[in-house]
Amino acid sequence: MSDHSGHHDVNYKKIYFTLLFLLVVSVVGPEFGILWVTLVTAFGVAAVKAYLVIENFMHLRWEKKLMKWMLTSSLIVMALMFFGIAPDVMKHEGRNWVNQAAIAATERGIGGHGEEESAGEAVEMVEAEPGVFNAQSQYNIACATCHGQQGMGDGAAAAALNPQPADFTDPAFWTERDRDRIYTVIREGAAAVGGSPLMVAWQNTYNDEQIEALTDYVMGFQPE
Amino acid sequence: MADTAVQVEHDHHGADAHHGPTGILKYIWSTDHKIIGMQYLFTGMFMAVIGGYMAYVFRMQLAFPGISVPGFGQVSPGEYNSLITNHGSIMIFWVAMPVLIAAFGNFLIPLMIGADDMVFPRINRLSYQIFLISALILLASLFVEGGGFGGAWTSYPPLSAVAEYNLTNLGSTLWLTAVALEFVAFLLGGINFIVTLMNSRAPGMKAYDIPLTVWMIVIASVLFMLSVGPLMAGAVMLLFDQTLGTGFYDPARGGDPILWQHLFWFFGHPEVYVVLLPAIGFVIDITATFARKKVFGYKIMLYTAVATAVLSFFVWAHHQFVAGIDPRMANVFTITTLLISVPIAELLFVMIATLYGGSITLKTPMLWALGFISTFLLGGVTGIFLGASGADIYLHDTYFVLAHFHYTFFPIAIIGTFAAFTYWFPKMFGRMMDERLGKIHFWGTIIPFNTIFIPLFMLGGIGQHRRIYNFEHFPELAEPWMFTLRQIATISLVIMLLFQFVFFYNVIKSWISGKKAGDNPWKANTLEWSTVSPPPHGNWPPAELPKVYRGPYEYSHPDREEDYWPQNEPA
Amino acid sequence: MSHAKPIATLRSATGIPTGRLAIWWVLASEVVIFGGLIAAYLMHRLGHPEWADAAAVTNTMIGTVNTFVLLTSSFTAVLAHQAAERGDGKKAAKYLVFTIGGALTFVCIKSYEWWYEISHGYTITSNTFWSFYYTMAGLHALHVIAGAIIMGVVAFDAYRGRELQRVELIGIYWHFVDVVWIFLFPLLYIAK
Repeated sequence: MSDHSGHHDVNYKKIYFTLLFLLVVSVVGPEFGILWVTLVTAFGVAAVKAYLVIENFMHLRWEKKLMKWMLTSSLIVMALMFFGIAPDVMKHEGRNWVNQAAIAATERGIGGHGEEESAGEAVEMVEAEPGVFNAQSQYNIACATCHGQQGMGDGAAAAALNPQPADFTDPAFWTERDRDRIYTVIREGAAAVGGSPLMVAWQNTYNDEQIEALTDYVMGFQPE
Repeated sequence: MADTAVQVEHDHHGADAHHGPTGILKYIWSTDHKIIGMQYLFTGMFMAVIGGYMAYVFRMQLAFPGISVPGFGQVSPGEYNSLITNHGSIMIFWVAMPVLIAAFGNFLIPLMIGADDMVFPRINRLSYQIFLISALILLASLFVEGGGFGGAWTSYPPLSAVAEYNLTNLGSTLWLTAVALEFVAFLLGGINFIVTLMNSRAPGMKAYDIPLTVWMIVIASVLFMLSVGPLMAGAVMLLFDQTLGTGFYDPARGGDPILWQHLFWFFGHPEVYVVLLPAIGFVIDITATFARKKVFGYKIMLYTAVATAVLSFFVWAHHQFVAGIDPRMANVFTITTLLISVPIAELLFVMIATLYGGSITLKTPMLWALGFISTFLLGGVTGIFLGASGADIYLHDTYFVLAHFHYTFFPIAIIGTFAAFTYWFPKMFGRMMDERLGKIHFWGTIIPFNTIFIPLFMLGGIGQHRRIYNFEHFPELAEPWMFTLRQIATISLVIMLLFQFVFFYNVIKSWISGKKAGDNPWKANTLEWSTVSPPPHGNWPPAELPKVYRGPYEYSHPDREEDYWPQNEPA
Repeated sequence: MSHAKPIATLRSATGIPTGRLAIWWVLASEVVIFGGLIAAYLMHRLGHPEWADAAAVTNTMIGTVNTFVLLTSSFTAVLAHQAAERGDGKKAAKYLVFTIGGALTFVCIKSYEWWYEISHGYTITSNTFWSFYYTMAGLHALHVIAGAIIMGVVAFDAYRGRELQRVELIGIYWHFVDVVWIFLFPLLYIAK
């Protein structure tokens, strides 16, 4: 306690009012809607505020070098983490890969929310989402991993599965299956009708209407 | 425990009169760092027995598919997943961490730096209690509906995030909660270790007078503390994905499953060094004592450990070469991964150079230390193949990786623990362990260990994948000679596990009726040997807390008749 | 159960009091927890321009008031430390109670804000922006609540003139919570 009490002739009140002034700046700045002004006033000012608090209120200014190194090293570790991970998570495509799901999510978001300003309407959008349910894209996300995009049971994960996923284009598959059975299997999983537990139930992911749509889509693979 | 030991304890109590609870509460509610260390040690050993039992069950299933495993019964695919997941989690989070860092850290740090206790004894106790709760939650998760979590110890989403995929709704949530609590326990413990070393060293003990064991445990604690934060945040996000239905790791909803892999390995790789460094510390201390020789390059050792710690933050993505990470990043991570083998090789060279020209006594702890050096060397060398992204794409997720991993972790967590345990047993319980039983146990562990994992290296090389329930489903992996190799591995495992009974018998026998150890049976220099065995609460009488006059490794000093020179002996 | 402090706690080889050294290590470990979460949010936010629409819904006014409340409570916390340094436990306790008041105000405003947002359909599962929003603010709010409880204990002791050094320690922690909010505020409210 006593070792650094001599230094504490800080004018805390002055620092406090500076902080309040900076708060006003950071709120008013972004109102102009200019990108760089927003960035500087929002994040630049936040950094200055944080610096003032850490140096004066937390008295880091009077601490030993050791302490500063400690904090700096944890910040460096964070920066390292960010730059190591960001190339994979932040970007949606690279030299040999495309993150289709993320691109789709972005497009959906921009298309859907573009004009909505007020909160109420945006909420409707969230609830209106099922209306634009697209059986094909959902099939490609949820089912194609095993059953394949063409329904031939040759999805990327199929090789590792035993028993093998069903091939919807195989006439033999359809000899003893009707639409109701497909619907039940999607909804409750194959184990519900005595099949493999590897075909899981989707009733918690999709509502009945969506499962109907998916059933129709799967029925579409049936050879004439 | 013998009357005399208790008598000694009472004698020392006179001055610092500790008024705590009495009876059994004295042990379960104690703030004494030694008792807490023992609690960690025995909890960790108990969990190790469970983890070993799990390994036995799933190895039996792999070698003899479909048989009814004695002591378990038929293994279903779901149970198999749950067994391998929990074997991995238990052995790393509930055995290696608590035993190597928490148990020996707690027991040794105050003794080795000449302090009477940790700086925050009650936070220390809290740390163990949180750890105990986490272990209980994990064990409970094995018995809930659907069974224990089966999504592998790395717990990648979406498998771990969606109950429809992993089919263990409650099991996965409990598993995640247990892991997160365990991290909290070690954060509390780690901060305690770091502050204790920084502030509470005996008068005269400068940075280069600190025994390497203590340095290593504390460097490991810092490493743990800096790497675990993002994973704790990530675990909360995964918990919300599981329980609330958020989409942090679901790309269709704007999240990213790769993020979890990054957060996991950003912690997971430094974690390897978190458990490695303490084991290195034990081994180098033991090597110096039994070679009666100064550590070859104390400072090199220390700086190398720090370099390893720093580098370990730059290698995590080598676990994800096949996960679709940016190829340019893969190049960077290949280079850093190959680089980190340099400091590790340096650490081993220091150990070997310490042995050179020493007058070596092959007592049990020394055998374990030498066993560590030789097996860990093999583990490290096989890692080079995996570090290069080109080779890793072929070897990824095969038994080669698995065997490499066990060749590093077994020396660390099991051999390192046995080395330290047999070395400090006299200090812990005041009695010597039986040498003959100790050697039987050593050879009965180290030989089967090699015959378990060398066949697995071969199987991995021909492309046998991990996490497969029954190889009979894959004709190209079901050749008879492959099953022979698998059976060799499994039978060796059973033999190795049976030999552990020798160890437990030895511990109990030596505890009850071993030879009295005296204060310093190994004639070692460090401060813990300057007090009585076992040390009383407070370690030394308050007026006699040691002062330090020299470094910890002054063996065979030319000017002295004795071949050792305790740190606390005035010149 | 009252404990005599071990001699180890009273030693100070670094010259920094043990409690203060420990609290800074705690903060260093907190930096990486919040840092991990913020970094994860940041890379998603930069990759998903559509989140700007969701961010536009958050109420800047409430965020500003809450920032003001936290800055003020930080100010009273440092005044409490100043008083404790002069050995005036009663005054320190008084300022700590002000700080706890700030914490409670913050939590109340936060609850109102969340109630309003949830009742308008913006729940934690609405989309990943909202998931991050509730997770980050929730983790921060937990720290505020924990800090307020500990501060109550410290104030109770300080009022009786005991353990005055703890006033500084809880103050350092409190400023850290404030600093985290200083960064969360532009991330969640201002940047549209």
